[in-house]
Formats: sequence, structure tokens, C-alpha cells
Amino acid sequence: MRYLLISLTLLLFACASFPKKNNLERINGNRPTVINPYFSDLSKDYIYKAKINFAEKSFGGIFAIKKLGQEHYRVVFTTEMGNKLFDFSFIKNEFKINFILSEMNKKILINLLKKDLFVLTSENPNILNHYQKMGDSMFFETKIKNNTYFYITADERLNKILETKGSKEKSDYIFTEIENDHAREIKIRHKNIKLTIDLKAI
Amino acid sequence: MRNLLFLIVLIARTTLLFAQESNMNNAEIAELKAMINETSKATNTIQSNFTQYKHLDFLSNDITTQGRMAFKAPNMVKWEYTEPFKYSIIFKDDKLTINDSGTKSNMDLGNSALFKKLNQLIVNSVKGNLFQDSDFTMSYFKSPNYYKVIFIPKDEKIKSYIASFILFFDKKKADVMEVKMVEPTNDFTRIVFNDRLINKPLDNEVFTN
Repeated sequence: MRYLLISLTLLLFACASFPKKNNLERINGNRPTVINPYFSDLSKDYIYKAKINFAEKSFGGIFAIKKLGQEHYRVVFTTEMGNKLFDFSFIKNEFKINFILSEMNKKILINLLKKDLFVLTSENPNILNHYQKMGDSMFFETKIKNNTYFYITADERLNKILETKGSKEKSDYIFTEIENDHAREIKIRHKNIKLTIDLKAI
Repeated sequence: MRNLLFLIVLIARTTLLFAQESNMNNAEIAELKAMINETSKATNTIQSNFTQYKHLDFLSNDITTQGRMAFKAPNMVKWEYTEPFKYSIIFKDDKLTINDSGTKSNMDLGNSALFKKLNQLIVNSVKGNLFQDSDFTMSYFKSPNYYKVIFIPKDEKIKSYIASFILFFDKKKADVMEVKMVEPTNDFTRIVFNDRLINKPLDNEVFTN
């Protein structure tokens, strides 16, 4: 019985929410908003040199990302020599593959890329709760396709999107070298999947 | 004012005239092929600067990269990008090696049969001996400034990726000035060569990443 109690207590702790575990202080009041401005300019081509590691393989290339309308983005990945590897469109909740090289046409990889790129370009998340941490960091909680994300800002500037499951961190999307709403460096990290993406603006 | 207008119209018309291309006749095609063959045979090394323009129709501007290309007969090629990032890719003895700002690899994707074929084509086009390749249907054009040959792949898999290769040759020595790879959509990759050095000694060491 005692073991059962201990187990149950442990289980409860394990299931604690991310804000609780991290001592985030909930803020009540107005409906908060947060914006991811890093792919929001319709007139701008967002071009990045990319390094991708997937499983034991690493490959580089060039990412071209462009906002074409409200909730409408085009993402193309080519080799440095210009050979197209994939070409995706995100239009509201619809995902379209315009092209993918047969060697990359694997469901698991496509789903991972689709998820990461959707999160990366989500501009106006619907905020459910918001929290404050000691210091200036604000945490804005949202759900994207049934997963929980925290948009983390410092000085009212987004510097990280964090995906969580229960109290655990799952994925990080880190924006740095920010100049006029342009994140010149972006890192995507996953805790359980061997996929890392590093982007550097060119 | 009227004179100025007249001048503008005249200049515009002349420019149009210069840009005009016409078909080449059989004698001209044979002459061009012979010239390219000659140049190709006499070429042991090529070193050239290049500018690459990646055109994606949905972007406002082409993605522009620059670097230096080195070729040594029979089939060693190095593409070294220097701006806006450092990256080099070497094709040697049917193998491919990459140095991505310090990260070295021989990535699987680039080893795909399709890319190997593509790279072989680019090498052949730089050497100017794409004409021996029976894998293409070719058509020939001339303008006052260049010869242009369009290569359409016969292989369906390649065709679904690259609809056509277009080579531009200078009219003096039939050196390749420009390679353009057009995708089945309106997207294309254009590589323009400049400051070319022919047969300047080139160490094999250059072709290691």
C-alpha cells in the first residue's frame, strides 16, 4: 500500500504541468496576444543556409521561406547547387507537397518537417494562458494541432517556442541574432527525435 | 523632345534586334560542334569565377551565390562557393565530397543517381562535350552575341526534374559562358562564368576537401 502511495505520488509529480514544475506564475487579466514576426513580411524573401542532421546523416542546403498571404507560406529547400529537394505550401490548415525528391519522400521525415515548419511560421497563435517567470520572461501557452507550445518572450520579443508534453520539454525553436523582426539564426532541437535544424540567414 | 523620343525608340528597337535569336542551319551547327570539339580537346584545366542565380518564381529576388570553379581533365571538378557562405563540393572518380564551412561529408542525397547524372552533365557542359551524349534532343540557336544550345533529356526521370539544359557559348572560341537548368515549373538555376583561365597548371591537391 505504501509503495502504491509512493508510486501514485510520483506519478502525480510526473504528470504535473510544465508551468507548475517550472514555478511559473500565472497572470490573470486581459486576453494576451503574442506575435511571431520572423516570417511575417509579405515583401521579404527569407533565405537561410541550413544544416540538417537526421538520424546519423547530415546534409546542408538553402531554405527559401516566403509569406504569400494570410496563413499562406511557401517553403523550398534546395542543395547549395540549386537542386530542389522539397517544395511545400502551407495554406491555413492545408499542407501541399509541390515537389519532393524521391530519396526524401519518406512519411516520417515529411511529417517531422511539416510540423516544424508549421510551428516556425505560425504568426498569431491563439493564447490560452500566460505566465511570468522571475525576471522578464513571459510564457504564452497555446495549442497547435493538439500539441502544447509556450511562446517565450523577453522584453516583449519572442526568443523561443517550446513544445511540451506534461511537464516535459519536447522541442525547442530558438530565435537569435534578431534585427528588425528578422531572426538571422534559428535552431530547432528535439528531445526524443534525432532531427536538428540550424538556419543562418544569408 | 520629339528627337529624344525617337532616339529612345531607336535604342529600344536596336536592343531588341540584338537580343533576337534565330535557328542555325546544318552547316552552322557542324561548324559550332567542330569548334567546341577543338576547344574541349585542347582544354586540360579550367579555372573560373562563377555567379549562380537560383530563380524560384514565388520569390521577389533570385538567390545569388558566388564562387570559383576548377576543372582538371579527365573528370575532377570543384565548385567552391565563397559568398555568402563557404561551401565546396568535389566530384572526383565518380565520388562526391563536401566541405560545408568545416563540416565534411559525402551526403547520401547528393549521391542519388539523379544528382550524379546532373553533375556529370554540368561537367560535360563546362567541357563542352555534351554533344556526344545521345540522352538528349538538341536544338541550336544563334544571336549576335552567343550560340545557344537547348538539351532536352530523353530519360523520363531526369525530364521530370530538369525539363531542359541550356548552354550559351561565346562566338569566338565556343567557351561555355552560361549554363541554365530549367525545371518543369518556371524555376531554374543559372550559372554564369567569368574571368576564365584555361590550361593554367592546377595541382591535384586542389581537389581534396
